[in-house]
Amino acid sequence: MSKIQMFEKPLGMRDSFPKVFEQKEYIRSTARDFIRNKGYDFIKTPSVEYFETIGKASAIDESSLFKLVDNQGEMLVLRPDMTTPIARIAASKLLKEKNPLRLAYFANVFRAQQQEGGRPAEFEQLGLELIGDFSAYGDSEIVNTAAELVKALGVESFRITIGHAGILTAILENNTNNQEQVNALRQLLVEKNFVGFEEMLEELQLTEEQKGQLTRMVESSIEASPVQNFRVFLTDEQQVLLDHVETLQKLLDVQLSDPLLISFDFTLASHMSYYTGMLFEIHAAGSGFPIGSGGRYDELFKLFDEEVGATGFGIRVDRLLEVLPDKTVKEKHTLILFEEGFYQKSNELAEERRSKSERVTLQYAASVRDLDVFKQNFDEVIMVSEGGSLT
Amino acid sequence: MNELTIAMPKGRIFEEAYQMFIDAGFDLPSEIDDSRKLIVEAPNERIQFILAKPMDVPVYVEHGVADIGIAGKDVLLEQHRDVHELLDLHISNCYIATAGLPNTQMDDIAPRVATKYPTIATNFYKEKGEQVEIIELNGSIELAPMIGLADRIVDIVSTGQTLKENGLVEYEKIVDISSRLIVNPVSYRVKNERIREFVAQLKNGMNKR
Repeated sequence: MSKIQMFEKPLGMRDSFPKVFEQKEYIRSTARDFIRNKGYDFIKTPSVEYFETIGKASAIDESSLFKLVDNQGEMLVLRPDMTTPIARIAASKLLKEKNPLRLAYFANVFRAQQQEGGRPAEFEQLGLELIGDFSAYGDSEIVNTAAELVKALGVESFRITIGHAGILTAILENNTNNQEQVNALRQLLVEKNFVGFEEMLEELQLTEEQKGQLTRMVESSIEASPVQNFRVFLTDEQQVLLDHVETLQKLLDVQLSDPLLISFDFTLASHMSYYTGMLFEIHAAGSGFPIGSGGRYDELFKLFDEEVGATGFGIRVDRLLEVLPDKTVKEKHTLILFEEGFYQKSNELAEERRSKSERVTLQYAASVRDLDVFKQNFDEVIMVSEGGSLT
Repeated sequence: MNELTIAMPKGRIFEEAYQMFIDAGFDLPSEIDDSRKLIVEAPNERIQFILAKPMDVPVYVEHGVADIGIAGKDVLLEQHRDVHELLDLHISNCYIATAGLPNTQMDDIAPRVATKYPTIATNFYKEKGEQVEIIELNGSIELAPMIGLADRIVDIVSTGQTLKENGLVEYEKIVDISSRLIVNPVSYRVKNERIREFVAQLKNGMNKR
């Protein structure tokens, strides 16, 4: 590696300059009002957690974790997601006070990048978790809130795709011979590698019947067949999973202003291994990557010795910024320059203006290196000096 | 109807794929006059083609500036881009293999492998448990064993003619390669219907061939 230059930052780390900072603040405050109105409470968790607990429970791949060692010799991680720390707090404390529990967060998470220097390794995530509800009403609340929130933030064109981890697993298990085959096929669906999926079907030496079922399942998904068409792939005991999805679909039809926003795709699979029930992704025109995702993750709580239902979603603020028009309002910014002997007078002038909520910068003129360049940053410049000229 | 942007690899694969689209019944301009053009419009189908280096096609598609792309499986394996692989077009079929001078062994002390595909080569030797040094070259890989830069090369083989002419023999086949239709994950959702129709028509055309 070459010598590190003084201005360099660690791989994947970014500065937020004033303009971007204000845009993020806009998202944060808009989202905060919206989410609090829905009855969710915001919380904050430490940036650093134990590797043994959060690091291992998190669905983020170990190679993406930033690890460090504390002065006791314990392995620590920079939090790679917020869902796992929230599960920790809920299981150990908050669920005893309130159940079901509604929590929200706006926090930065850390995921080490190996490829391509430019990808962020630290980014803000905005999300919420509904813990303690097994029902389709819970799922519906989360999907609906995600859709409304994205709309409230000003994203015009977006789609939500809903899948179901339980149904996908059931279909894969019904038509394969062991867990290894299920995992191999699921991994190909995570990568959305349909060509690879077909090749794998040949390779695994499945029966014609099994191959046919799986091929038809994928084809039905690509063609966006109605949900009930997937009943044929499930056994009698598994029908209850599809009942759940149909209930969810009905609830969403009632709640959502535009039902076309939603589509179902049972090949949707996530690299987040703790999703057990419905899961979804939010795609918006303007960004090449999903802006958010979520789902049901009851399994995660078993790691914390708790048996509750939980669903939630997270939105990537950096990707949201890409698709959002700049909504920040340009405010007037005034510069008051003063010369020796006019300190008090300029202060009074500045305070008078600030009391009318104007942004005012007060600056001793002789300290400025290049007045002309400096003045360009302001909308109005007032010179307080002998003669007191306005410029 | 939404406009579709399709990233195409320049050169031979372009012509083969373009013909394939025409055979599938897409109403495209039959002559592409200026070969130096980077963007070709097909207004009747509301399709825009961008012509890119084959290695760059997945980059355009991953970032969403192209909705669809045609890329060799070799490039996809090498780059691990976040794109959906929807269809095997069964064109430009070939495979990746290791090759070297006849009747030679890998050097015991410093086994070296020259390749245009460092990731594929690394993974292949890693899985075999062999420690080798990978040397990345950009072309004329066959030179490497001939002049003693490397014991083996990892490269595309289609007919084996190039290997033969340079006195090399194939040792191990690594993976089969063909051109694939790839789709950006967001376009796949946001322009779902348009892309579904496009793929269905293309598939239909392929089955007739």
